[in-house]
Amino acid sequence: MSRLALAIVAGSALLFAALLARHGSVHAQSPDQNQLTVYSPRTSHSVPLLDVNGQPYAGLVELLEPLGSVDARADGKKYKLHFTPPGGRPLELQFTNGKDKGKVRGNGYKLPANFIVQNGRGYVPLSVTSEIISKLLATDTELHSAARRLFIGNIQVRYTLELHKDNPSRLLLGFSSPVNPTIATEPGRVRLTFRREPIVSTGPENAPYSDPLITGVSFSEHDGQAELDVTGKAPMMANFADGGRTIIITGAPAPAPVTQEAPAPLPPAPANTQNPAPQPRQPAAPRFLVLIDPAHGGSDIGAAITPSLPEKDVVLALARRVQHELANRGIAAGLLRNSDVAIALDQRATSANAARPALYIALHAANTGRGVHVFTALLPAANLSPQGFLPWDTAQAAFLDLSGSVAGSVAAELESRKLPNTTLLAPLRPMNNIAAPAIAVEIAPPAENVDEIASAAYQEQVAQSIAAGVAAVRGKLPQVRP
Amino acid sequence: MTRRVMVMFAVLAMIALGLAFYALHLKRKVARDEQLAAQQQSLAPPGNGPPTPVTLYIASDSDGTLRRTQVNVTLPPERSERARAVLRVLFGQYLQSSSPHPIGAGGDVRDVYLLGDDTAVVDTNAAFADAHPSGVLAEELTVASIVVTLNANDTKIGRVKILVNGQERETLAGHADLRRFYEASNIGQVVKDLQ
Repeated sequence: MSRLALAIVAGSALLFAALLARHGSVHAQSPDQNQLTVYSPRTSHSVPLLDVNGQPYAGLVELLEPLGSVDARADGKKYKLHFTPPGGRPLELQFTNGKDKGKVRGNGYKLPANFIVQNGRGYVPLSVTSEIISKLLATDTELHSAARRLFIGNIQVRYTLELHKDNPSRLLLGFSSPVNPTIATEPGRVRLTFRREPIVSTGPENAPYSDPLITGVSFSEHDGQAELDVTGKAPMMANFADGGRTIIITGAPAPAPVTQEAPAPLPPAPANTQNPAPQPRQPAAPRFLVLIDPAHGGSDIGAAITPSLPEKDVVLALARRVQHELANRGIAAGLLRNSDVAIALDQRATSANAARPALYIALHAANTGRGVHVFTALLPAANLSPQGFLPWDTAQAAFLDLSGSVAGSVAAELESRKLPNTTLLAPLRPMNNIAAPAIAVEIAPPAENVDEIASAAYQEQVAQSIAAGVAAVRGKLPQVRP
Repeated sequence: MTRRVMVMFAVLAMIALGLAFYALHLKRKVARDEQLAAQQQSLAPPGNGPPTPVTLYIASDSDGTLRRTQVNVTLPPERSERARAVLRVLFGQYLQSSSPHPIGAGGDVRDVYLLGDDTAVVDTNAAFADAHPSGVLAEELTVASIVVTLNANDTKIGRVKILVNGQERETLAGHADLRRFYEASNIGQVVKDLQ
C-alpha cells in the first residue's frame, strides 16, 4: 500500500509539473524585448509579444487596431477577424487555434507555426505580421524581425552624417523628417535613442572618423527602437537645429571645478544632454535664465494620453520646442530633465531653486479637456519678501504677482494664435516650492483625436505662444546674479 | 493491467480533475472580484427622517468647470457622519458611468474626522487615488469639488485635508498637492474661475 501511495504522490507531482510547464510555455517575454514597434503613415504603435515555445507571437487585434477598425471574435477554436482599413471595405481573416492553416481575404494562408488563441485573443507568429498587413493594406511592408520593428509603407526616416572639423569638431546628423530622440551622455559618448521614429540606416552601420574629438558613429536597432551611438575622445553634447531635422554633436564646455549632484542645477546655455556639463564660472554679471521642467519621467509616466503615449514623452518633446523657441528670441533656457529619468518633486524644486532662474515653467499634458491650461500656484496670499528667507511649502507665495503676469502674457499669446486656453490657480507640486516666478502649462488635445497632442504643428504653436509670452514680459522679470 | 495500476490511474485522474476544478474556481473568483471592484459605488447614506437638500459641486472634464447642483438625501445627525455621507453622494455621482468627471472605480470615503470646529480630515480609500485620472486640471477639479461641497453643506468647515488609506500622500495622481490643508476660502477663488 505504501508503494501505491508513493506512486500516487509521484504521479501527482509529475502531473502538476506538466500543468505548470504547459502554463509556463505561453508567457510574456522580459519587458525589454516584449514589444514590436509598428511604424505606419498614420501612427507609431507598440504591440506586446508573447513567447510561445521560444517563438514570438503578436496579437492580431493589437497589431491591426491602430491601422483601421477591427471586429474580432473567438468561437471555440475558430477565430474570425474583420479588418476595415480607412475608407475601405471589411476584409476577413480566419484561423483555428492550434492549426497552421487559415484564410486571409478568402484565400488559403499557411502560417509557419500554429495559430494561438489565448483569453479570446488571436496570435500569429511575428514572422508573418509583415505579410498579413501587406495583404490587408495592399502596401509594401518591411519587418526587421530581430530588432522587433515593422515598417508599413515607405515611411523610413534616413539620416546623413557630416563631420565639420572646426574647433571643436561638429558632427551634423541630418534626418529626412524631424526627430525627437532620447539623448544620454557619458564621457566620450552620446547615445540617441529613437523610440517613435522609423529611423533606418542607409549606409554602413559603423562610420569611423580620424578626428581629434569625434571617433565614430554606429547605428543599431533592437527591442523596437533604433540607436545612434557617437563616440569621442572628450565629453560631448547634442543640440537640435532646423526644427528637429538636424542634431549637432560637438564638444561640451569644460566643467567648472565644483562637484554637482544629479540632477545638477542647469547652466544658462541650451543643454541637450542628460548630464549637462556646468558652464565655467563667469564674473557675476546678471543673467536671464528660463528653467523648463518637463514633468514626470522614468517609471513615473504621468498621465497615459493613449496606451502607447505617456505624458512624460509628450512634455519632453514640448520642452525641447519651448527651449528652441526661447533661444530664437535670445532667451537662454535650460531643461530640468532632457532624458527619460525620474526626479522626485522635492528634488525638482531643489534643483530649480539652486539654478536661480528668472522664470520656472512646468510642462504637463492630459487627455481630458481641450486646449491649453496655464496655471499659477494656489496659495494663500502672504506678505513675503522674495529676498528674505522663504518657507519651503509656500515659497512661491512671494512671487505670485510676477507669476500671474507671465501667465497672463502666455494666455494672450495663445489667444492670438486661436488656441483655446484657460488661466487658473492650481495646487500643483513642486510649483509651490519654487522661489522664482513660476507657471505651469498643461496641454490637452486640440481636437477629438487624442494623438494630435503629440503633433509637431500643435506643439510648435504652443511652444511659440509660451516663448512669445515670456519674451513680452521679460523686462518685468528679475535678472539674476549667479 | 493490474488492479493496483488501475487504482493509481483512477486516483491520478481524480486529482487532475480536482486541480482543474480548483483552477476554474480561482479564475472565476478573480473575474468576480474584479467585476465587483469595478461596480463598487458609494451607497446612499443611512439615516432616518426626511430627506435634506444637499449641495454638490460637480466637476466636468470637458469644459473644466464646477457646477452647483442639489439633491435630496437623508443624512445622519452627527456632523462628521453627515460630512462623510455628503461626500459619498458626491463620489456616487462621479462613479456613475455617465459621469462628466469619472474617478477611479471603487473610489470611496472611509471616514471624515473633524478637528475642532473648522477642520475636516477626509480619509479616502486607496482606489480613489490609485485609479484617479492623472492631470493637473482633472485632479484640481476633484480636490476643489470635495472642499467646496463640504463647505457648502457645513459652513463651519473652512479647512480640509485629504488622506489616502489613513496616510498622507504627496499628490493625488501625480499633480494635485495632498500634503497641505486646503482653505475653503482659497479654493472658493478657484471655483469662481472654474464656474
